Amino acid sequence: MKSQDQDKMSEKKLDAELVEQAKKGIMSAFELLVNRYQQRVANVISKFIKDKHEIQDVAQEVFIKVFRALPNFRGDSSFYTWIYRIAVNTSKNHLVAKSRRIQNTQVEFEDAESFVSNEDFRNLDTPDAVYSRGELEQTMSKAIAVLPEDLKKAIVLREVDGLSYDEIALKMNCPIGTVRSRIFRARDAIDQALRPLLDDENMRKQHVR
Amino acid sequence: MSDKSKQNISDLMDGELPNDCSRFLLKRMQSDEALKSSWNNYHMLRSCLQQESDAPLMKNLGASVVKKLSSNTALEPVETSHLNAWMKPLAGTAIAASVALVAVFTFNQNQSIPQAEPLPVYAKTSQQVINPPNARAVRVEQPPGFTRYPSLTPQIQQYLSEKNNQPQIPVYYNVEYFNRRIDQHRLKVQQNTAE
Repeated sequence: MKSQDQDKMSEKKLDAELVEQAKKGIMSAFELLVNRYQQRVANVISKFIKDKHEIQDVAQEVFIKVFRALPNFRGDSSFYTWIYRIAVNTSKNHLVAKSRRIQNTQVEFEDAESFVSNEDFRNLDTPDAVYSRGELEQTMSKAIAVLPEDLKKAIVLREVDGLSYDEIALKMNCPIGTVRSRIFRARDAIDQALRPLLDDENMRKQHVR
Repeated sequence: MSDKSKQNISDLMDGELPNDCSRFLLKRMQSDEALKSSWNNYHMLRSCLQQESDAPLMKNLGASVVKKLSSNTALEPVETSHLNAWMKPLAGTAIAASVALVAVFTFNQNQSIPQAEPLPVYAKTSQQVINPPNARAVRVEQPPGFTRYPSLTPQIQQYLSEKNNQPQIPVYYNVEYFNRRIDQHRLKVQQNTAE
């Protein structure tokens, strides 16, 4: 059991592997890394910034900084601890820069009130983006809601409570292979539900281009 | 794409896949769009479950980050050299020193009086007393508290502000006339004492 555990690529090792590849300039590895931590970074930024559009912009900025600073990451701390610091600093800097920008911008009272002229005071997504994001969230929520109870419990214990497969097996009183299978089936169900939606979106993007 | 590959992705993201399989799968994912898409969707489910109320749901941010990085010039991560690490504080010191030098130089220029043109000396009325040594600073018309020349003593600043409120018309005297009048006065006094 112990030798099996040692043989596994832990999440920390997985991050280290992706970081090493990204350092060599393999962008697809960096893309996998970004998608792995995107939500946790957005959650951190949302502690400082309330506007959802701005949170996405700052998250993008954080990962660009992360890429540029990758050679400085030596793996002493976990990758998440490292990007957490970058996310906090970038959010604070964004707030400072924004307050300076607003101080230096003269806005007519009527304009500021009606949000007509100043882009800093309003952040609007295109209707398409808002619709597609809303649709995606709805589809995912529905897909999670209709999951069989044992799959739902297994995926929540893993993703929300952060338990390992061993711990979930103990908690659900079932073999570890069953846990593995339940978690995969839950993920696959969501994947199947999202695929048509994302394919449509890709088609739409290509059509627009 | 087989279910086995997808299950391997699921195991991989939880750190439950053996090392060699993990490396192989990571390589495959970089060229196989379907596998990459499964990785993204599995992580989107993770995002949805971990999403906090104030944060938006993040959807394939990696693609937009890579696109942005690709549109910039260099794709290689920026290697900060060892030299830069110790050059940083030195650069900071150099900037601070040069700012201080400029400040001192500018200040001295403001204070110095050109020596080429000596100030003319005039006789004054009793009210006008004397010009201060750097009388050219009379052009400063600010109250002492907000003066641009804090090196002047408060008395001189007070003097300047008071003087600036008075008409500055110098009064010239005919020194010969005065000397004649003084002589006449002395003669008169002598005559009076002789009588």
